[in-house]
Amino acid sequence: MLLPYLVGSLLLVGLPALLSAVLAFTSYDALSPPVFVGFTNFRLLAADPIVGTALLNTLFFIVLAVPLRVLGALGLALLLSRPRRGIGGYRAAVYLPTVIPDMAFALIWLWIFNPLFGPLNMVLGLFGLPGPGWLADADTARFPFVIMAAFQIGEGFVILLAALRGLSGEVFEAGAIDGAGRWAAFRYLTLPLLVPWLVLLTVRDVIVGLGWTFTPSYVMTGGDPYYATTFLPLLVYEEAFDRFRFGMGSALMLVMFLLSVALIGAIYLFFRRRGYVADV
Amino acid sequence: MSERRGSTGRLIRDHALPLLVAALFLLPLLWMVTASLRQPGLPPPQGVEWLPASPSPGNYVAVFELLPFGRYLLNSLAVVALAVPLTIVSASLAGFAMAGLERRSRAALVVLSVALLMVPVTATWLTRFLVLRWLGLTDSLLALVLPALAGSSPLFVLIYYWAFRRVSADIFEMAHLDGAGPFTAWRRVGLPAVLPASVAVAVLTFILYWSDFISPLLYLRDQDLYTLPLGLRQLQQLDPTDWPLLMAGAVLLTVPAILFFMLVQHLFLGDGRPERG
Repeated sequence: MLLPYLVGSLLLVGLPALLSAVLAFTSYDALSPPVFVGFTNFRLLAADPIVGTALLNTLFFIVLAVPLRVLGALGLALLLSRPRRGIGGYRAAVYLPTVIPDMAFALIWLWIFNPLFGPLNMVLGLFGLPGPGWLADADTARFPFVIMAAFQIGEGFVILLAALRGLSGEVFEAGAIDGAGRWAAFRYLTLPLLVPWLVLLTVRDVIVGLGWTFTPSYVMTGGDPYYATTFLPLLVYEEAFDRFRFGMGSALMLVMFLLSVALIGAIYLFFRRRGYVADV
Repeated sequence: MSERRGSTGRLIRDHALPLLVAALFLLPLLWMVTASLRQPGLPPPQGVEWLPASPSPGNYVAVFELLPFGRYLLNSLAVVALAVPLTIVSASLAGFAMAGLERRSRAALVVLSVALLMVPVTATWLTRFLVLRWLGLTDSLLALVLPALAGSSPLFVLIYYWAFRRVSADIFEMAHLDGAGPFTAWRRVGLPAVLPASVAVAVLTFILYWSDFISPLLYLRDQDLYTLPLGLRQLQQLDPTDWPLLMAGAVLLTVPAILFFMLVQHLFLGDGRPERG
């Protein structure tokens, strides 16, 4: 009964992951057989300034978007955890942007961030504020990606709602007996109990966030202006499917994988410093 | 006294702030719909348009005239019609089998599933393409449906696993005593007991395949096989400045996902435990 699940996962996830680890050390155009080239791909990548730019762009996105998304989900879960009239509607509204298909989501924001006619700059105009060029300007082009990502936080929101539901009741009664104030109760009771969930969400968000940038960058900017929105997944796609260099693409993928390992290690250290690791 | 003093603060916390948040999250959807209803051929608006001045369905008609959107719609529906039932069967079978295992192997499979969930999609793009080509499945809608055979996502297998674990073991034992094999027990006793989980998985699966942009982009070349998200991309390439038209296409792609989600949102967002029901 487990057969379809295990065989399918092996064929569609395990085998491809293994293959790309091997292909990273070859030159392969998907027509003639792959040729082993050792570390050549990595040397070429290290020498390519665009790869460095893409790496920094990706880091920029992750470092801003992941904390914003996790803290946003936490804040909204706290705000909307207690049952009351209309709560279903509020929660549904928060979740809805997460349901929008990626392609449509990218187009909607491309319109919102349109520097000339887009609704956002029109609203800024109402307040007499100058509208930035957003995606058209290399200095501001990365921010729309962070803002968009902060709107699709439904999954983290639901997970934290469930976690809060699990620990309400007893914990807060205990806190009330101790005479803990609202902030103290949050800081010393709720937050430590939520930490394992926050760690899980942060780790997952780093992994998901790395891939998430593909569709918006492919659809909204194509990596422009001046490579300001060229993120790693877009480069992987271009190497493999535009230039048919599957070896280079796989090597880049390996770089991305190492980046996520490094980031997750950093998250681990961050939480260990604060003495939360026992909970993790 | 203090009750009265706190009531304004409570009103802000309970309703004013949530209302503001809800409005913020609905804003992108509102702007999409508003822009899509603008009369074709009008110059772009000169100020914020909260609601269309003179709404017109013209863009929705034009989408189908400019591109074979009807065809793309059918392709998308075909993918979903295959993927949803296949996912339900394979994910529930796996979850059912997992729930019946002894403790050690159960834990190992849960860990494996969580590990699979952590594999980034991008890690398998290129090489999955090579595997599919080797199977002779590129340029076929089957390439899009194939993950459904493996339950579509380890998350769905886990949802079923948890749902089956919650069901009392007695009824499975009763089925066993009746001489029912594991497949009969799964079909007769297991599946009916976890209906809410099935509904939730069905909707999540629908949204997953309906929204999928990357798989068709990587695996399809033949235009006749394009699904709606690729059609929308084509529309963008046709004229990247015709915003009302593009927003109409975006609405067509978004509405089914939202409708299906709204049907079951209480399963995810409610406070009760409807899985028990």
